[in-house]
Amino acid sequence: MKMIKKILLLIVFVFLISCNPDSQTRNAKIIYWCSNNTEEIEFARYIVGKWNKNNPGEKVMFQAVPEGQSSEEVILAAVVGKTTPDIYSNMWEGDVESYARAGILVALDTLDGFKEFLNERCDSMVIDEVTSSDGHIYQIPWKINPIMLLYNSSIINELGFSEPPKTYSDFFNASKKFQKDNDGDGYIDRWFGYAEVLVTWWQRFFDFYPLYLAASSGAPLVKNNKAVFNNEAGVKVFEFLQKMYNCNYFPKERLSARQDVFLDGVIATRFTGPWEISHAEKFKPKGFDYSFQNIPVPDGHIGPVYTYGDPKNIVIFQTCPDPSLAWKFLKSVLSEESDLKFLEITNQLPHRKNLDTNPKYAGYFTKNPKMKIFAEQAKYLKGTDQSPVLKEVFDLISQEYEACVIYGKKTPQEALNDAEKAVNLLFLK
Amino acid sequence: MRKKLIPYLLVAPYLIHFIIFVAFPVGFSIYLTFNNWNIISPMEYTGLSNYKRLFQDNIFWKSLLNTLIFLAIHIPLQIIFALFIAELLNQNIKFRGFFRAAFFLPVIVSGVVVTILWQQLYGFDTGLLNRMLVKIGLGKIGWLTDPNWSMPSIAVMATWKNVGLYIVLFLVGLQTVPPQYYEAAELEGATHLQKFFRITLPMINPTIFMVVVLSTIGGFSLFIEPYVMTGGGPLNSTISAVLYIYKQGFFYYHMGYAATLGFFFALLILSVVMIQKKFVEKDK
Repeated sequence: MKMIKKILLLIVFVFLISCNPDSQTRNAKIIYWCSNNTEEIEFARYIVGKWNKNNPGEKVMFQAVPEGQSSEEVILAAVVGKTTPDIYSNMWEGDVESYARAGILVALDTLDGFKEFLNERCDSMVIDEVTSSDGHIYQIPWKINPIMLLYNSSIINELGFSEPPKTYSDFFNASKKFQKDNDGDGYIDRWFGYAEVLVTWWQRFFDFYPLYLAASSGAPLVKNNKAVFNNEAGVKVFEFLQKMYNCNYFPKERLSARQDVFLDGVIATRFTGPWEISHAEKFKPKGFDYSFQNIPVPDGHIGPVYTYGDPKNIVIFQTCPDPSLAWKFLKSVLSEESDLKFLEITNQLPHRKNLDTNPKYAGYFTKNPKMKIFAEQAKYLKGTDQSPVLKEVFDLISQEYEACVIYGKKTPQEALNDAEKAVNLLFLK
Repeated sequence: MRKKLIPYLLVAPYLIHFIIFVAFPVGFSIYLTFNNWNIISPMEYTGLSNYKRLFQDNIFWKSLLNTLIFLAIHIPLQIIFALFIAELLNQNIKFRGFFRAAFFLPVIVSGVVVTILWQQLYGFDTGLLNRMLVKIGLGKIGWLTDPNWSMPSIAVMATWKNVGLYIVLFLVGLQTVPPQYYEAAELEGATHLQKFFRITLPMINPTIFMVVVLSTIGGFSLFIEPYVMTGGGPLNSTISAVLYIYKQGFFYYHMGYAATLGFFFALLILSVVMIQKKFVEKDK
């Protein structure tokens, strides 16, 4: 009986120890989670190593965000389990508003020197974008991956064009010329472009949203709890994409399960980000040439061409025992020198103004001319609107997009009317 | 005293497991149906508003209809095919062991792997099925891109994946039929079809009921196939009830509403199974 009691006590003890969220002995003063891709882990190792060497009394410990279906889910699980790190550096801008409203994030504008730092790093448009509806700032703009038009240069030349299509009319002309039934079975099997037909909300970041930003010069989708996308730009984008699918210039089939259709020459263009460079360099066939340019715009468009920047930002969680120290560490992560290192290691762009003209980065862009194109685009970027129901907004647009653009069940105006109505209902709830 | 305690100690492991992993989650889910909760913010009591929303949610009803369409195709297909193969595998044929194993193989292959494989088969341009159709002079079919074809395509794939399990169940059922019944029927001059309909089918009725119940419950939980292959599209034609509940819960974090949908859906499955049971008992 005594033995059983001892075993039971041991089980209870182990159970209690494992339930204690603070059971990991906290040697470090700050715990920092970075993204879990190899390059960003390497950068985190470099930057944390450097900090710890210079600040032995203020040790920072880094860890890649634990594996999960998505980093957003992992962060949510950490929030629920109260096991959040002090700093997280891969926060999607669209998630910040709901976390901020739940009181989980530190209002960074209350920290010493934050506003001055941010004014130096970013222009006013970016600062407005990251300012939450309560007037506070809960995120630091960190990195961007602008969505642009990737094109096969050889195909563009073969089609007799001196440059890739810039307007919708150019796009239709090039698409018509390129479209082909290779095997003579009566079905097109070579298309000018491709976009995922899945209705999943975030797929619209790679077709509708950058096209909408380009056509509208960076207009928002929602403003003051109201849908504002039902406008001329929205209609034009839906009309453009509807024609692309209707004329079979874009396939309705999902090509993502195949080998890389762009490198195989099955498609000539694609809306994508700078991550495509390292992939293309690794797998492109001999003699394959490609480049990037602005997202196509409606005919007669005047002014700069905006796009979606896919920004990921840094946040400090309320669970952080010393936000001032976390901020001190972050200033070193976000310095000009660190941004250069970040660029070199990860080939992702730091979110800072004058990236393309800053002499500090000139050497990198000379060595990586394709990245320079993205750096030049960085002046005309938008992230997402600050709204706690952003995913639902994108989902509702996506539903109408599918019905109108891909299957032609509605006219562009009808689809946008319905999407606007549904989004406004969402805000009323 | 000690004697009185022992029975409780013996049932304690199961009871603790039941309370933690069944009773509490079910009770909490029911409580959630009266609240709005996005996990990170405190719960907000909303009364019956989630239930009201459920009855006005067109996509949820569409997802239920899709699930019923799936069941209407999947269950008969599964039973007919499984019974036919089981009947063949019950004969004294060559390589019987190999065929039994081969038909069971898809059951143990991961659902995601199977869906990716079938996605290739169903491909519009390069898919094997469309290539065959073109070779025999027919037109291509948008197996997963045409809203009229997408759910039947998924139902066929799900049947292929699961039929092995039901073949095994039918095989067991067939082997319980006493051979003297067939011998007597043969003496009376009964044909193969007569033997099948007059002896085999009535004798394996309990197995058929089990297969219907299992494939109904399995069919109601349709998720991986549309999640991986179509995401619920095109035009919501393959969005199943479970996929929709998952989206509400884990895409949008509408936990209260997802719990309401889940609760309603569980009641629906229970009702369908009860009705099925009544029918089969009546037949007996």
